[in-house]
Amino acid sequence: MDLSTVNAALAAKSYPDLAPICDDLFLQVASQGAATDGWPYAVHLLAHLYLNDLNSARFLWKTVPQEVKDAHPELAAVWKIGQCLWNRDYAGVYTSAQGFEWGPEIADFVAAFIESYRKRIFELLTSAYSTISVADVSHFMGMSEEDATNYAVQNGWSLDAAAKMLTVTKQKPQTNQKLDASKLQRLTECVFHLEH
Amino acid sequence: MESVETLVAHIQALSGSPEDLAQLHGLLKQADGDALRAHSAALLPLLPQLHPAAHSLGYLFLLDAFLSAPANLKAHAGGDLLATVANFLVSCSAEQIRLSPDKFLNVCKVLKSEAMQLNAPIRGIAPLRAAVRKVQPSSEHLTPLHAEYLTLCLLAKQYKAGLSVLEDDIFEVDQPKDLFLYCYYGGMIYIGLKKFRKALELLHNAVTAPMASLNAITIEAYKKYVLVSLIQNGQVPSFPKYASSTAQRNLKNHAQIYVDLSTCYGNGSYSELETFIQSNTEKFETDNNLGLVKQVLSSMYKRNIQRLTQTYLTLSLEDIASSVQLNTPKEAEMHVLRMIEDGEIHATINQKDGMVSFHEDPEQYKSSEMVEHIDSSIQRLMALSKKLTSIDENISCDHAFLMKSGRERGRGFDYDDFDSVPHKYF
Repeated sequence: MDLSTVNAALAAKSYPDLAPICDDLFLQVASQGAATDGWPYAVHLLAHLYLNDLNSARFLWKTVPQEVKDAHPELAAVWKIGQCLWNRDYAGVYTSAQGFEWGPEIADFVAAFIESYRKRIFELLTSAYSTISVADVSHFMGMSEEDATNYAVQNGWSLDAAAKMLTVTKQKPQTNQKLDASKLQRLTECVFHLEH
Repeated sequence: MESVETLVAHIQALSGSPEDLAQLHGLLKQADGDALRAHSAALLPLLPQLHPAAHSLGYLFLLDAFLSAPANLKAHAGGDLLATVANFLVSCSAEQIRLSPDKFLNVCKVLKSEAMQLNAPIRGIAPLRAAVRKVQPSSEHLTPLHAEYLTLCLLAKQYKAGLSVLEDDIFEVDQPKDLFLYCYYGGMIYIGLKKFRKALELLHNAVTAPMASLNAITIEAYKKYVLVSLIQNGQVPSFPKYASSTAQRNLKNHAQIYVDLSTCYGNGSYSELETFIQSNTEKFETDNNLGLVKQVLSSMYKRNIQRLTQTYLTLSLEDIASSVQLNTPKEAEMHVLRMIEDGEIHATINQKDGMVSFHEDPEQYKSSEMVEHIDSSIQRLMALSKKLTSIDENISCDHAFLMKSGRERGRGFDYDDFDSVPHKYF
């Protein structure tokens, strides 16, 4: 079993590419009938979670043999994160990620996952709330109230200290509205098509 | 009668140019009868003398003869044979194996059944994926292998791998059964990935495809079609005009309980639906649809909240909770948040006042990504409409079609019912 591509992607921290790499390699290895005992299930599972592809993670977990699950507490720990994501237990994601001693080869990946997850949740809060309590922000972001407030204020939110409420400021996304000449050509083709 | 060794020598010598291959094909067909079958057990040791990529055609004939004898399969029931076949499927040359597609399909089927027998469906996925690509003349062709491949993906829970064949648009179908199975299994893959819109598309095709008599695949597809329609759209549309009359007349009778479920869903009451499902749990379970039925139930909250957005601009969390039968305002907040996360509604929650305000779709359709997206859709539709026009022209020139439509006209039907070609052409 040649895991060099997986390890290379891990070392290069190109985490979004890991899931397809793992998927393909796993199928190849399986078709040769080689033993999949040494397969890095934990990395594979986390790669799906990193892309927020919970369905693939769920199916992967279902196919992992029971003895492998028992032998690798790290894999079970990754799955615990997955379960929290699945049940939208927002705070549980952080506690289960922090509640395990990760091995050196996966620790960076977990940290990167948490960071991207936190960013995603913050974007979600920004789009879903106009005002939100400090306690809830700290719950969603897995931070202490103080840290969460700082994080939010740095991103342009304003704090009403008396009510312990944060007012969300939505940033207008920068959209590129420029079009190039090829679009005009396409439009011509389209009109031509409609007339004939 | 040539010995097998001579045949191997021929294969090695005649696998180059197309002319050589044609000659070789002739030789192989001659030998294929008794000669190969009689010595089938001795063929496996000869295979290493051939190269799967360079001598694909000969390799295929020998392999097929070997695999066709059940005794051989039993004698080599380990994983090694499977690896040999897998290796052949991955590395064989597409031009050569297309000379003998039947044998190739046969080898693929043996691979699939062997993988299933070993209880390792995952072992067949990569080879079959390569095989599908090699045997189809273009990605628009449906092959019998599509359904086999999708079954393996489902059994091995490699749902994502199934997408590689589902993402192509299919225009050419040989056997109706291939299409029904493809649509049904494809629908199941998309259901597993919770891509309900795509699942609905495929199941819809299975339900509305032309059919002279009802088949079991369609009935099962229809059951899932009803459930997925409810999850995705909250209602089940009636059959379109182009659905076969067989389907329109009979399907509902075979899936009565699902029809009842959709009626119950239409009433919009969570508890009523829950009771209905509980009293029919067993039936859904025997159909293996219980999981999907439960998703129908939980989509009820979503549907009811979505309905509120059509009536109100702002609404308190408390009112949302009471009108969709949730216990607490916090629970309602989490449901709304989840729906915002999934992009199902556009709303903002104001915790200070405990209010939710609903918005219109904020997309203004003027960003360059959106233009790009619309443009690609237009391109796709233009290609599709060109294809449709050419098929339409082909059919209206088809002798059998003209005979039939002419005859029906004689029986008193108005010609306009069957063809949109204006009368002036006749």
